[in-house]
Amino acid sequence: MTVTEQEIAEYVGRVRAALADLSSEVRDELTEDLPEHLAEVAAEAEGSLVERLGTPEAYAAELRAAAGAPGAGGRHLDQRVARAVLRGRAQLRALDARLGPPLGYAAASEFLRLLRPAWWVLRAYLAAMLVTVVSTGGSFGLLPRFGGELLGGLLMLVGLLLASIWLGRRSERLRGWPRWALHAGTLVLVVFALAGLANAEDRAGYSDYGYDPIAVNNPYDRVRDVFVYDSEGRLVENARLFDQNGDPIRLGYPDCADERDPNGNPLLRPYPYCPEQAPFAPRAPVGPPVLPPLSSPSASSTPEPTASASPAPAASASETADPTGTPTPTGTPVPTITVSPTR
Amino acid sequence: MDTTQLLKGVLDLAVLAVLRHEDGYGYDILRRLREAGLEEVGDASVYGTLRRLFAAGLLTTYVVPSESGPHRKYYSLNAAGRDQLTRSGKLWRSFATTMDALLDERGMAA
Repeated sequence: MTVTEQEIAEYVGRVRAALADLSSEVRDELTEDLPEHLAEVAAEAEGSLVERLGTPEAYAAELRAAAGAPGAGGRHLDQRVARAVLRGRAQLRALDARLGPPLGYAAASEFLRLLRPAWWVLRAYLAAMLVTVVSTGGSFGLLPRFGGELLGGLLMLVGLLLASIWLGRRSERLRGWPRWALHAGTLVLVVFALAGLANAEDRAGYSDYGYDPIAVNNPYDRVRDVFVYDSEGRLVENARLFDQNGDPIRLGYPDCADERDPNGNPLLRPYPYCPEQAPFAPRAPVGPPVLPPLSSPSASSTPEPTASASPAPAASASETADPTGTPTPTGTPVPTITVSPTR
Repeated sequence: MDTTQLLKGVLDLAVLAVLRHEDGYGYDILRRLREAGLEEVGDASVYGTLRRLFAAGLLTTYVVPSESGPHRKYYSLNAAGRDQLTRSGKLWRSFATTMDALLDERGMAA
């Protein structure tokens, strides 16, 4: 006897696997004697079971046919698929009916059907944009272009719109390959739309840190540095600017090295960033001769205008984190300070 | 149409017939069928047919221990099986006669 019990067990296992779609009752009834039967077969002649009987799958198929296997509905893969499809459709219908009332319709599909013309329009636009991408190649916006021509693109859009509506009113009656072609085209457009959305999302994301959209019209966007002069025309160093809420005002960006703290955060540096680039005679010790006329102090101004110009208190203004504190001293004599941005 | 197609319809009858005079076990029945000229019958077909006839109550089984090889499960006709064999046999005879006559009328050689 050349066939081992192991081989018989494996053969029976594969036969049973091939009959897996039958109910376990039927399958057991068909195969409960199979090991003994195969042992008889093996005892009768030489050769492996597969050589003598063919593959277990073929054996199972023949057995199924000969035994008139019940449960014919599950006999073939396509029939099983068909049954699964039917089950899935029934579940979809149930879901359809359940989702309808919250939308105010008998069924959700009724509501979706109303949206179909909207899809026809969107479909035409997507097709036009697809042609735009293919024909233009390079950059394009939200409007269709044909070979880069806006007029051609708009004409194309109108044409596609009419075609899409025409097609939409007839798609119900399409059968065979035109129907499949329509589905395939829809799939292409949906994928294209998703890709386009993702692309647009990416491009919008750049503006988050690339540039502030408000800055487009900001008159200070060309300010690189801020120079503060006291009423005597002396350059105030280590000045800090705050708005009415106590938030620091950041203007410009240092384009020279900070000798005091070369490794510090450049955005925390006080103004001016680069004192040596002051437009009006930096560090002029006395007199305001170089100041523009509008900044000349009024006659009633205090004789001690430099109180806020001393570097130390200005530097501490932000460190003490007094939210309501203003960098100006509390003394009534407010010095006239001119902020003179360099351009 | 090949023999396999024809066999599907008459394998029940053939199996019942070879068990008429002598009980047999699976492989033995297959061998008898092949010796009788049904060369193309497959083991799975015979095994499946035996299972079905047994499930239909036309056969009874008993196991014969064997000293040299595995135990053998013998099938034998019971009363219902014999009735079935008689009826199916008549049906086949009449059907075959009809078919023979049909072909004879049209001059088909045997």
